[in-house]
Amino acid sequence: MFGSLKEKLKNWIKKSSEKNTLEKTPKKEIIKKEKSKKTPKKSSKKIKKEEKKIKEEILEDEIIENTQTIEEKSKEKKSFFGVFKRFLTEEKFEELFKGLELILLQNNVAYEAVQAVRDELSNNLIGKNIKEIDLAEELKKGIGSILINPPNFIDEIKGSLEVKSPFVILVCGINGSGKTTTIAKLANYLQKNSLSVCLAAADTFRAASIEQIEVHATNLKIPLIKKDYGSDPASVGFEGITYAKKNSIDVVLIDTAGRMQNSASLMREIEKIVKVTKPDMKIYLGESITGNDAIEQAKTFNDSINLTGIILSKADVDEKGGTAISVALVTKKPILFLGTGQNYEDLEIFDKDKLIEKLGL
Amino acid sequence: MVLEKLGEAINAGIKKITNAIFLDKKLIDGIVRDIQRSLIEADVNIELVFALSERIKKVAYDESIKGIDKKEQLVKLIHDEILSLLGKKKELKLHKKTSIMFLGLYGSGKTTTIAKLALHYSKRGRKVALLGLDTDRPAAMDQLEQMAAKAKVQAFIDKVEKDPLKIIKKYESALKKYDLVLIDTAGRDGLNKELIKQIKKLDKELKPDYRILIMPADIGQVAKTQSEEFQKALSIDGVIITRMDGTSKGGGALTACAETKAPVFFIGTGEQLHEIETFEPVAFINRLLGMGDLQSLLEKVKSASSESETKRMEDRLKEGKFTLLDLYSQLEQMNKMGSIDKLVGMIPGMSEAKVPKDLLDKQESKMKHWKSAISSMTEKEIENPQILEKETSRIKRIAKGSNTTTTEIRELLKQYKLLKEMMGLDGIQEGKIDQKTIQKMAKKFKGKIKF
Ligand SMILES: Nc1nc2c(ncn2[C@@H]2O[C@H](COP(=O)(O)OP(=O)(O)O)[C@@H](O)[C@H]2O)c(=O)[nH]1
Ligand SMILES: Nc1nc2c(ncn2[C@@H]2O[C@H](COP(=O)(O)OP(=O)(O)O)[C@@H](O)[C@H]2O)c(=O)[nH]1
Ligand SMILES: [Mg+2]
Ligand SMILES: [Mg+2]
Repeated sequence: MFGSLKEKLKNWIKKSSEKNTLEKTPKKEIIKKEKSKKTPKKSSKKIKKEEKKIKEEILEDEIIENTQTIEEKSKEKKSFFGVFKRFLTEEKFEELFKGLELILLQNNVAYEAVQAVRDELSNNLIGKNIKEIDLAEELKKGIGSILINPPNFIDEIKGSLEVKSPFVILVCGINGSGKTTTIAKLANYLQKNSLSVCLAAADTFRAASIEQIEVHATNLKIPLIKKDYGSDPASVGFEGITYAKKNSIDVVLIDTAGRMQNSASLMREIEKIVKVTKPDMKIYLGESITGNDAIEQAKTFNDSINLTGIILSKADVDEKGGTAISVALVTKKPILFLGTGQNYEDLEIFDKDKLIEKLGL
Repeated sequence: MVLEKLGEAINAGIKKITNAIFLDKKLIDGIVRDIQRSLIEADVNIELVFALSERIKKVAYDESIKGIDKKEQLVKLIHDEILSLLGKKKELKLHKKTSIMFLGLYGSGKTTTIAKLALHYSKRGRKVALLGLDTDRPAAMDQLEQMAAKAKVQAFIDKVEKDPLKIIKKYESALKKYDLVLIDTAGRDGLNKELIKQIKKLDKELKPDYRILIMPADIGQVAKTQSEEFQKALSIDGVIITRMDGTSKGGGALTACAETKAPVFFIGTGEQLHEIETFEPVAFINRLLGMGDLQSLLEKVKSASSESETKRMEDRLKEGKFTLLDLYSQLEQMNKMGSIDKLVGMIPGMSEAKVPKDLLDKQESKMKHWKSAISSMTEKEIENPQILEKETSRIKRIAKGSNTTTTEIRELLKQYKLLKEMMGLDGIQEGKIDQKTIQKMAKKFKGKIKF
């Protein structure tokens, strides 16, 4: 899914390092030309004096290499900055970052997240010797510092079950993001790892939401706890937990109705569901195809119910993959899984090293 | 919120342009950067954003456009660019009998939107039927059935059949009795070859009058590829953008669709059946900018400019400077006091009756020519018009460059001299042109200013 981003990043890194070497080559050519011409000007004496001063201040070998350049430059009445060219300046960084910024934005990383990467890189790079900069490594570090690896999902649950049962997972998110489908995928995954599961149909609002989750429950042979449309979602969740306790079921998955994060009443509702069901895990279900709004969405849900982690669905649609960076940045929470299709097996454990590797870094 | 940010950035940019005395590079770059950022945050396609920035910069850096002219051009450009980003308004025209097929990404809101439209059109007297062809998503048929019941329209569905083509066959004749048939399909990725092949087959079989793409407002950079792919496969007639009630206001979806020339017919603003609105790009951008239409924007530029101009003029007069630009803005201010004919009406002995309409029009067009002549002058020439009289070759050059005549430019210079003389009058020096001043003016210049 990260195919295109990988290509672009590779090109960028290649180009950027070419730029660095390119910049040196023409300099040498100038030096050669200069030597052959040998037409010293009046001002060169004065400049040589200043040169001496600089010589004392800066490492010798650097100066020796650059003396000719200074002569050349000074003739064109240019500054002495040629000497410092080997260190990454702020301007040079900006120039370098422009290309990277474009690539990240094209790949659906939200503007705010791109700026965070920029800050990280500029802190690490400005003032460093260009020769010593490994762009791929720095970018890897920058993105790596934003993403958080998820703990082992199954171990986490099994560990918790030793203390307390059942383990309650709440899934929330905006409309149509893939909550119900992902709950079915999770149920399937948990069963495969010998954990028993039941579902609570706490989306009592959307037309046929209960029928939809019922199809999954039947397919996967899982008990479903449901009430009528319009009934209180918190109570459906609570009944799911009661059912699990009675029947010694390990995990309760609570499906909730989609809600836009700017709907105050619906956000109050989800807070109430959390209060009543006290989930061990609160998962925000986002879409990989969402643009800059992903930041606002994930942030608001996180502020409201303090998320445990995030799952991004529809990663099969968006080969760009930038949304993971955006939501991780604003929530500081791990991405647990990626949804990669409509089938039960289409659930991939998120691995930040794998993502970074996929980026070609 | 994102939309408001975009509005704010554009507003702030226009304001900065309006109030600036000099549009220097730093100011322009700052404005462009702010607009750029807000467009990116609104999910507008990145390439589109950068192309737009370049067009703004091109006009802004153009040395041949000057002063208020440049301000007007820039404001108009920004306004028009944003408007063209949003595409043109087009109404969904229904025939006596119409069928519409809906398609789009998974969970984008197809089924809900169909139910909304069913209610919308049945309220307007159409006999509406829904046809359910989503055989992929669990309980998709139940959803359509339940929503149809809510909208009180007939739904033709099959909860068992897995082949949509067979469902089409099954209801072919029954559907003929309806004026409007809305067809629900399964969610699909425009890049999924298999699913595109399938929708093409359905399209061939159904031959719908319209194909409408459903896109969520918060979609990011994939909007472009998705709309392009669907457009390529089926030739989309229009788009409906859902989830406009969220914080994202559809920048990605809107601009992607405008780029593929598919008009936005409606926007979805909630989960309830009545939460659908027609899309009005002009009203949308006006709301976005938080102010009136282009006309009123330009008015603002002019009035703000003249406010600061008046002040500037006072300062300049104190310094003893008066340039052609000052002349122009002064003339323009008179113009604004209620166009020249009103001004004329205020001057005793120069009542409207005595000034034929076509002469007034002539004066207006004269002003336009002067304006372009001034635009063709160098800084030096504007500051010291005297050099024009000394070096007549300059007048020729300006006339050629501005597509005016040397006679017109000489006339302008004459007016300049007159007005400079006139500046001795107290009222004008204070930036006020009242009835009294005008009377004095008329007295002094009777017969000299020719209309
Ligand atoms: N391609 C793809 N489709 C998905 C994925 N997750 C969910 N969907 C589809 O997205 C649509 C909405 O999913 P649903 O679970 O009903 O969303 P909910 O409203 O959040 O419960 C359905 O058509 C799903 O099949 C995914 O990872 N990939
Ligand atoms: N907030 C909001 N939700 C919407 C809108 N349109 C559809 N939805 C919701 O989005 C989800 C997916 O809609 P659905 O019609 O099932 O999408 P489909 O898979 O494309 O048919 C449902 O929860 C709908 O209630 C809208 O304009 N605003
Ligand atoms: Mg659901
Ligand atoms: Mg549907």
